[in-house]
Amino acid sequence: MVPAALATASGVGGAGALAGLLLPCRLRVPVVGVLTAGVGAGGGTAGVAALEGSRWAAALPGLVPLAGAHVAVDALAGVFMAVAGAVVVAVAVYGIGYAAGDGPHGLGSRTAQAVLPLFALTLVLVPVAASVSTFLVLWELMALGSLLLVLAEHRERASVWQAGVWYAVMTHLGLMLLLAGFALFAAQAGGETFAALRAGAQGVSPALRGLVFVLVAAAFASKAGTVPLHAWLPRAHPEAPSPVSALMSAAMVNLGVYGLVRTGLDLLGGGPAWWWLGVMAVGGVSAVYGILQAAMAADLKRLLAYSTSENMGLVIVGVGASGLFAAYGDRPLAALALAAALLHVVNHAAFKALLFCAAGSVLRATGLRDLDRLGGLRSRMPATAGLFALAALGAVALPPGNGFISEWLLLQSLIHGFQVPGVAVAVVLPLSVALIALSAGIAAAVFVKALGVGFFSRPRSEQAATAGEAPAPMLAGMGLLAVLCAALALVPGLLGDGLDRAVGAAGLPGSGALTGGGLRVRLADVSASLSPLWVVAALTVALALAAGLPRLCARRRRRAGARLWDCGGGAPTPRMAYTATSFAEPLQRVFDDVLAPEQDVNVTPVRESAYLVERVRFQRRVPDRIEHRLYEPVLRALAGTGQAVRRLAGGSVHLYLGYGFAGLVVLLLALTVGW
Amino acid sequence: MSDSLYTQLLDVTCGAFLLAAVIVLWRRELAAIVRVFALQGVALAALAVLLGAHEERWDLIGVGIGIGALRAGALPYLVRRALAALTEDRQGYATGGTETRETQPLVNVAASLLTAALLTLLAYAVSRPLTDLEPTPATRALPVGLAVVLIGFFVLVTRRRALAQVVGFLLLDNGITATAFLATSGVPLIVELGVSFDVLLAVLVLQILTTRMREAFGTTDIDDLRELHD
Amino acid sequence: MSTVGYAAVAGQIVVVGAGAPLLTGWMRQVRSRLEGRAGAGVLQPWRDIRKLLGKEAITPAGTGPAFRIAPALLVATTVVATALVPLLSTDTPVSGHADLIVVVALIALGTLALALAGLDTGTAFGGMSASREMTVAALVEPTILLAVFALSIPAGTTNLPAIVTGAVEEPARLASPAGLLATAALAVAVLAETGRIPVDNPSTHLELTMIHEAMVLEYAGGDLALVELGAQLRLTLLLGLLSSLFAPWGIATSASWTTLALALVLFAAKVALLGAVLAAAEVFWAKVRLFRVPELLAGSFLLALLAVTSSYFLSGGS
Repeated sequence: MVPAALATASGVGGAGALAGLLLPCRLRVPVVGVLTAGVGAGGGTAGVAALEGSRWAAALPGLVPLAGAHVAVDALAGVFMAVAGAVVVAVAVYGIGYAAGDGPHGLGSRTAQAVLPLFALTLVLVPVAASVSTFLVLWELMALGSLLLVLAEHRERASVWQAGVWYAVMTHLGLMLLLAGFALFAAQAGGETFAALRAGAQGVSPALRGLVFVLVAAAFASKAGTVPLHAWLPRAHPEAPSPVSALMSAAMVNLGVYGLVRTGLDLLGGGPAWWWLGVMAVGGVSAVYGILQAAMAADLKRLLAYSTSENMGLVIVGVGASGLFAAYGDRPLAALALAAALLHVVNHAAFKALLFCAAGSVLRATGLRDLDRLGGLRSRMPATAGLFALAALGAVALPPGNGFISEWLLLQSLIHGFQVPGVAVAVVLPLSVALIALSAGIAAAVFVKALGVGFFSRPRSEQAATAGEAPAPMLAGMGLLAVLCAALALVPGLLGDGLDRAVGAAGLPGSGALTGGGLRVRLADVSASLSPLWVVAALTVALALAAGLPRLCARRRRRAGARLWDCGGGAPTPRMAYTATSFAEPLQRVFDDVLAPEQDVNVTPVRESAYLVERVRFQRRVPDRIEHRLYEPVLRALAGTGQAVRRLAGGSVHLYLGYGFAGLVVLLLALTVGW
Repeated sequence: MSDSLYTQLLDVTCGAFLLAAVIVLWRRELAAIVRVFALQGVALAALAVLLGAHEERWDLIGVGIGIGALRAGALPYLVRRALAALTEDRQGYATGGTETRETQPLVNVAASLLTAALLTLLAYAVSRPLTDLEPTPATRALPVGLAVVLIGFFVLVTRRRALAQVVGFLLLDNGITATAFLATSGVPLIVELGVSFDVLLAVLVLQILTTRMREAFGTTDIDDLRELHD
Repeated sequence: MSTVGYAAVAGQIVVVGAGAPLLTGWMRQVRSRLEGRAGAGVLQPWRDIRKLLGKEAITPAGTGPAFRIAPALLVATTVVATALVPLLSTDTPVSGHADLIVVVALIALGTLALALAGLDTGTAFGGMSASREMTVAALVEPTILLAVFALSIPAGTTNLPAIVTGAVEEPARLASPAGLLATAALAVAVLAETGRIPVDNPSTHLELTMIHEAMVLEYAGGDLALVELGAQLRLTLLLGLLSSLFAPWGIATSASWTTLALALVLFAAKVALLGAVLAAAEVFWAKVRLFRVPELLAGSFLLALLAVTSSYFLSGGS
């Protein structure tokens, strides 16, 4: 079943690309959308089959030159394939409605429509790769596909180019790290298929294994958008067309996690504690830093992008904890932590895809991403607002949202880690619990801001006041995602066996954490359980009773209308309402030392007198501090070197020929001396 | 005294000892800081007495009582007198109100509390090898002593008021004494006497210095000493 | 077991539901007596709520569904949490689901609903206090979860009845530094969550200093009754949770009617005592400035962290 599904997906993907190239504008969007959904369905089916226990491996010698392609599907790959497949199906349906509004430009253009099915296909296929060369080829195709799609709207906004450049440079730096790491690994292990790497990993010296891990983990962490290699994410995601943002945020960044788990836990077979302490530190810092930046962001899609950084940070904390526990020999607990991390990947994909799609609908309807100018959309776009609220409930990690379940599982695995001996564990666990709690707390504020300022309250601009509901295909795509979110929130137990197999494929015993309708953590002598369905039922009953109480007692049933409290100063205008910026101000003041906002007050006096003020201009920006401190010096140094190197190229042909001659002579000299 | 009761009491005393250090970091009012410091002296004395009672060493109990008298009585009294001298002529100087409060420490209070959390974890990590040598209830509590040393040092580094720094110095010393008790069940009487005498002298000197400083500069903000450089 | 167990759950909800206004009345009474006033009597909040419930609800212009549903959601989350927390008995049909993290999250959900309602009105006051409330709630979260961590170390689980049963059987846990520090940390967190002095002043009339009250300015009639009831329920629940965790004596650990009755009396006494202490403390404390609140919460965070570490190194664990 797996090979058949994958072959179908590939075929359909190819057909989609051709359709995108050849069909006329009017036809191409729906046809490509349906075919892309087919790619997702095929990949998702293969993933689900893998989760149910099918395994498949094959060598296709002719497909890639020199090494040949090696493919294999196990349950770990299955998780990521199923997630990517499901997201692709929903987003493809959504994309039909979205691209139709673009006409022949943007996402509706020939290039974008041709690349979209291929990008979807690589998302599904990357986890299938079972040799270094196959993996790298697919990885690079995925990066190129996403880059072309990010650039789809380059005609509309100049900022798209800048985002594209950042993304291209960073993703290729990541590829170089990956290439270096894998080349070293393959050379040491004596083979480039994953099977050979797995077998040869134990023979590699610890120092080299460490080097391989650091190189590869840095590349994968950058793809996952974790601090400090996150700079591409908050640029590329907002500038890409919304369906592409959804695909990138819900499916592509996950593959960074996949790579980390696959190489760190599976191929390298785990490692010493310091690897995983590093991974946890990166995860914890990105969780808090990402969500803090999201709290400061007034751009809706930028906010969501930073929230991706946060959630991937949480996932990476789980992966790191898993490796750490395994390093100290507690394998059941390691399995639990990994299961929590994978479950969070699934949950995050569901709610983040929905959030980006809803943000896309808002963008489509109003042309605005700026929360400070949105507002009041709940009456103009009720369905979109409701779907956004549902997804936001998942994102704030509170019951009955789906994000709560995986964060609960993650916290349980960390809290139960107190049994694991070792100073490092004892120091790290409380800190990571605190960081996760802080990020969850701020996430609540972030999504209250996004929902409350963006969708509730009153419209703050003309565009927001005249917005209309999204067309049917977009609502259908979002509806699919909403069903997924609800299912994950209510019956996460359905994933139980699949997750166990996935964790088993990473070399750890199954956790058995998710059973039936609920969650049950049972380790040696500790236990905890959570029944999402039960909580939801109890909440519903209590809500009905509480809402009924005033109706029973009231003498008059009808609600009366009234004016808002205005302190007697006349009806409040929308300009008086809190904006996203003002909402975030207290948090910004609390975390002043971390965020280092830039403030600028310009007072222009009247010409006649210096004491009379004509105009006061106040400006405050909260720049990404890590980017500021880390990237700018590097960029400056690079630019400086470039300037210096320009002097070498004086324009004289003789000089250039001289370089070649000198190079040849030096090479020959080196050879003579060396031999 | 049964073993479990001893452990329990020891743990609670150590907890109180550490808590006092944390509260010193938390509060801004110098008078409150001095009060808390006196309480910490009581906890330290209790710790010594407890160890002495457990091991039935009367000299240790004696040392404990002596420490109590010095650190919960004499030293806070001296510091409080210096404080009173500062507040007395409050009307004379416009800065009088700020003299008795640590209004603007170099590192703000929330950040210093978080730093203290990290310092405690550091103390725990560092003292684990020592604890593992001989895991008794007393050596297990060793991180507490070490954490107080670190927190005291931190107070010394980050506070502006001379008196707050004196308290920081005393915290540091309390921490060292506690570490000595917990690690080796007490130093010889004569050494402890010598140390206590030293501390007393240091505080006396610092008290005089503070008063002089105040007379010379009109403030006890240590940063103003930089002016001497010019 | 089942009848007594169900009776215990129902009893918890009824006692907290009916007792919450009384507790508020009692605290106001204690406070006014300490301040030399006569006070309105313990029953006044009950009378207020009854009066408000009889009035029609108001829908201010421009508000949406979030505004209308928030009060009921606030009450609902608190009631579900009340059913889970072992206030009277640890042996109830829901005790398997009574996870401490779930209880904390349910309470946070109520906060969130009210903050959204505050933003939904679109007034400056609503937005202002929603923003402040969410800031405080975000900063409280680490303290609460670390306290949960500290409490679950000796019990080996985050299941509340298991923690309480363990504490009843082994009272030494409570007197350990970890227990005491966790109590202190959680007490500060409870003050912040319920919006009491020194974090917020529930009886303030000045909008600019408000945190909680400004979110609910627009409510009237039945909705206001639910909001008030929700706040009172939350205070009672959290004080009850504190007393269950740190003074668990008297909570029925087996299913029998006599122990349940005794637990009921003791629960009322403990919460009344805690309420009186809190009210007395409020007479002497002042509300701190909003931007001093993070300091307070950083302190409580430190206490919680110390609770965790001290349970590592003092009890010889690991």
